[in-house]
Amino acid sequence: MSLIRIALAGEGGQGVQSVAEILTEAAYNENQQTIYIPNFGLEQRGGVSIAFIQFSDKRIGAPKFNKADAVIALSGRAIGRTAGYSDENTLFVYDSGFEFDKEDLPKKAKKIIAIPAVDTANKVLHPKVFNIIIMGAVIGLTKVVSFDAAKEALEHKLGHKFESNPDLRELNYRALEIGKEMAEKSLQEEVDNNG
Amino acid sequence: MDKIIGEPKKAFMTGNETVAWACLAAGADIMFGYPITPQNEVMHYWTRLAPKYNRGFLQTEDELSAGFTTCGAVQVGKKAFTATAGPGNVLMQEPFGMAEAMRLPLLTVIQQRGGPSSGTVVYSQQEVTLTTYGGNGEGHRIVYSTATHQEIYDYVIKGFNIAWKYRFPTFILGDGYQAKMREPLEMYDPQDKGIEMVKPYSLIGVPGQIGVDREPQHLCNIYSLEEELYDVVMEVAAEYETITPELVEFDSKYCEDAEVIIVSHGVVSRAADDAVKILRNQGIKAGYFRPITLRPFPQQQLRECIAKSDAKQLLVAESAYGQLERLIKQEIYGETIKINNLFMPGVGIIDFDIINKVKSII
Repeated sequence: MSLIRIALAGEGGQGVQSVAEILTEAAYNENQQTIYIPNFGLEQRGGVSIAFIQFSDKRIGAPKFNKADAVIALSGRAIGRTAGYSDENTLFVYDSGFEFDKEDLPKKAKKIIAIPAVDTANKVLHPKVFNIIIMGAVIGLTKVVSFDAAKEALEHKLGHKFESNPDLRELNYRALEIGKEMAEKSLQEEVDNNG
Repeated sequence: MDKIIGEPKKAFMTGNETVAWACLAAGADIMFGYPITPQNEVMHYWTRLAPKYNRGFLQTEDELSAGFTTCGAVQVGKKAFTATAGPGNVLMQEPFGMAEAMRLPLLTVIQQRGGPSSGTVVYSQQEVTLTTYGGNGEGHRIVYSTATHQEIYDYVIKGFNIAWKYRFPTFILGDGYQAKMREPLEMYDPQDKGIEMVKPYSLIGVPGQIGVDREPQHLCNIYSLEEELYDVVMEVAAEYETITPELVEFDSKYCEDAEVIIVSHGVVSRAADDAVKILRNQGIKAGYFRPITLRPFPQQQLRECIAKSDAKQLLVAESAYGQLERLIKQEIYGETIKINNLFMPGVGIIDFDIINKVKSII
């Protein structure tokens, strides 16, 4: 696999950094080269939080990048903040569950697609697994790690919580699966660049 | 020495966590520190690990105090370290000066953030001047600029040994990116790599009668006469220059036939490495030179690199406004090669930036 660069952005507290951590750990366990760097500022909480993630089979150079292969923006503000990481080779993904200014969408992208992750989390599963749906979606969109490696890394990260509540394991695995399917389906229903 | 890691093993963690593990494996006795982003997690991880391995930690009231307590601990033979960044690095210059004056084996990890002043909490290479030549002294320090987590681990272990062998304050110069990013590395106990750790020793309260059994220990940072100070500084300078050839470290690639040599240090050298490969694929003969020690600087090696290539130009790429370039200019004084620059103070540099710059100058 050649280099894949992903910018994952959301509101502080949405779990963007946790997703990046679990995904890169999964990739590391699959013997890939991977680097993950959070953007971090002065805010203790709130604000747009971005994770810069890279996967490769070769040694990875600089920890940050200017243009991503995939941008996943999980809030209205996150769209505006991350549009600049998109160019004609970028898959730009946003959540369809919130209001935003269409002007904020990137001017350049290979594809712009919307996924209903917030809605699905709230209505079908549980709001707290929103970020796991996103993790599944990232896998569906980019195939950066195998589904099994993702499950294993999830187990490693949340295993102690699953122990006390086995239903949580099932919920998280379903979220991962639904996210993956959602992404694969959305990829086929390409949205026109003008939204 | 106790084994901490056991069998060498792969790990995937942040640079700050790497520092804490490396200090543990190197046999550090105690850390003194004061919180500042982006080095906070060095303290966090150390305080989590230290009690399990009977090591110490003291959070002091500020960085001045953290530096001076480290100066105190090493005098009684404790392998002590501290870590800081930005304004904390500024405050620590006074204790670092004391360490230069008294020849104290301090090990300090600097995770550079943006400046001046509070700047950003994120990233820069703007603490080069401060770390190499800060304080009211002559820069008699040893500074390693790391680029990967593996190097952080390796040079922390090496840094303790260098500090205790030569008794010059020693620095691991990282940055906010290296501090916060996660990447794979191999952790190991020094003995498993054939590395013998220099045993710390007490500098005061040494046994034996002065004048009979041993020379007096002069741990002095103030003198009555200017001539006394002069003698000491000259002696230290001579010793520093004598050991310089043993200390300098660098990396160079593709310099033999290079038209332009890209000079960078630390995390930027990763982008430079990629840039050189891409440029070569496009038929542009680029070379790569990276000082690993910024003090002492591998000036002889850089001069040789220039001499053996056809290079008419250097390109200095750094996340600062000329701090590395100033070092280079003073070190290779007399060379006539043209020096170009890519200064991006406080922001990251990627291969793309360097490639564009190279194409604009050739």
